[in-house]
Amino acid sequence: MIVTIISVIFILLGLLFFLGAAVGLIRFPDFYTRTHAAGKGDTLSSLLVILGFAVYQLKDFHGFSHDWPILLVILKLLAVSLFIFLTSPSSTHALMDAGWEDKVEPEIGKGRPNHLNDDCGKF
Amino acid sequence: MIFAFDIVILVFLVIAAIISLSVKDLLSASMIFGIYGFLICLLWAEMGAVDVAFTEASVGAGISAVLLVATVYNTKRKSSD
Amino acid sequence: MLSKVFATIAVVITGGILLYGVSDFPGFGDPHSPANAGVPGQASISQYFITESYGDTKVPNIVTSVLADYRGYDTMFETVVIFAAGMAIFAILRVVGDDSERKPRRKQESSFTNGDHSRIIIGTTCRLLVPVIQLFALYVIAHGHHSPGGGFQGGVILAASFIIIALAENLNSALKRLSETNYLKIACIGILIYAGFGVMCQVLESDFLDYGVLQPILMTDGPEMARSHSMLGVEIGVAFTVTAIMFAIYANLSSRGLLRDGL
Repeated sequence: MIVTIISVIFILLGLLFFLGAAVGLIRFPDFYTRTHAAGKGDTLSSLLVILGFAVYQLKDFHGFSHDWPILLVILKLLAVSLFIFLTSPSSTHALMDAGWEDKVEPEIGKGRPNHLNDDCGKF
Repeated sequence: MIFAFDIVILVFLVIAAIISLSVKDLLSASMIFGIYGFLICLLWAEMGAVDVAFTEASVGAGISAVLLVATVYNTKRKSSD
Repeated sequence: MLSKVFATIAVVITGGILLYGVSDFPGFGDPHSPANAGVPGQASISQYFITESYGDTKVPNIVTSVLADYRGYDTMFETVVIFAAGMAIFAILRVVGDDSERKPRRKQESSFTNGDHSRIIIGTTCRLLVPVIQLFALYVIAHGHHSPGGGFQGGVILAASFIIIALAENLNSALKRLSETNYLKIACIGILIYAGFGVMCQVLESDFLDYGVLQPILMTDGPEMARSHSMLGVEIGVAFTVTAIMFAIYANLSSRGLLRDGL
C-alpha cells in the first residue's frame, strides 16, 4: 500500500514537471528559452515517472529467494532512466549549439548586451 | 487492446499524417514523419504485435528520419507545392 | 490547384472503398474468424503454428520460427531486396575517380578528435553510448529466439550506432571504423551466409533451407535443435547485410556520394 502511494507521488510529480515543460515550450519568447524549458523539464519528469514505475514494481516483492525477477525489472527500468539521463540533456545541448551556430537571434531586453556574434566560430 | 488508448493514438496518427503532408518546410515534414512512425509503433505494441512494433521503432522512427534529413540537407528545404 | 482537387477526390474515393472493405473484416482477435478457426473441413494454419512450432523447432518465439524457418525463402529474398536497394543507391550516387565537379554542401573539417572543442559534450556522450548501443544490438540479434527482435532489428540498431558516430564527429571517423570496402564485403557475406545455409541443406540431399538435415554438421541433439541453431545463423546473415546496407545508404546520401564532408 505504502509502495503504491510513493509511486503515485513520483508519477504525479513527473506529470507536473511535464506540464511545466509544455507550458514553457509554448509561453517562452525565443528559441533558447524554449529549448531550455523543454530539455530541463523533459529530463526530470521522465526520470521521475520511470522511478515511479520502478517503485511500483516493489508492490509484489516479498522475499529475495522467490521474487528476484522483480529486481531484474527494476534494474532494467533504472538502466532506461540512466540512458535518458545521458541522452536527453546532450541532445538539448546539440539543438542549442546548432541554433547558436546558425545565429538564431535571442530575445534581449533594451540596453542589454547581445553576445551572439562575439565568439561564433571560435568555440 | 484498450479501446480508449487506441482512439487517442489513432487521432494523433491522423493529425501527424495530415501535418507532415501539408507543411511547407521539408525538414519539419521529415521530423513529423518520424513522429508518425513512432505513433504507429505504439499502436502495434498496444495491439500485441511486439515484433512488428520493434521493427517500426528501429526503422520508421530511427533510421528513416535520419535518411530523410540527410536527403533534405543535400537537396532543397522548401516544398514546391 | 486543380491537381490538388483531383487528388483529394481520388483519395476520398479510395479511402471510402477501403473503409467499405474493412467493414467486412472479422473483429479484432475473433476466435471464429477464418484466420483463427479455419474454413469448414480444413484446420487453420495459425492453429498449427501455435500448437506445433515449438515441437518442430524448439524456438519459443513463434514469429521468429515462422520468419526464419517456415517461410525462410521469403525472408531470404527480403534480405536480397535490402541488398538491391543499397546497390541501387550506390550505383546512382557514388562518385568514383575525379569528383571535382560535385561539391559537398559544406566543408566539415572540424572534429572532436583533432583539437576542436565545440563538440566535446556530444562527442563524449556518444563515446559513452555507442558501446552500449552495439551491445544491445548484438543482444537483439542473438536473443531473437526468445524475445522480440532478430536479425533485421538488430542490424538496424547496429547501423544506427555507426550513424551516431558519423553525426557526432564526422563521416570520416565513422568510415575509419567501417570502411567502404568492408561494408560492401559484409553486405555480400551476409547474403552468402543465408544462401549458404540453404545450399548446404541441398548438398545433404534435402530441400533448400530445410535445416533439419544439418544435424550431423551442427552436432545437436536432434533435427529440432539443428533448426534452432541454423535460424540463429540465418539471423546473423541478415544482420550483416542490414547493418552494412543501412550504413552505406546513410554515407552515400549524406555526402552526395563523395564519402567525405558529410552531414
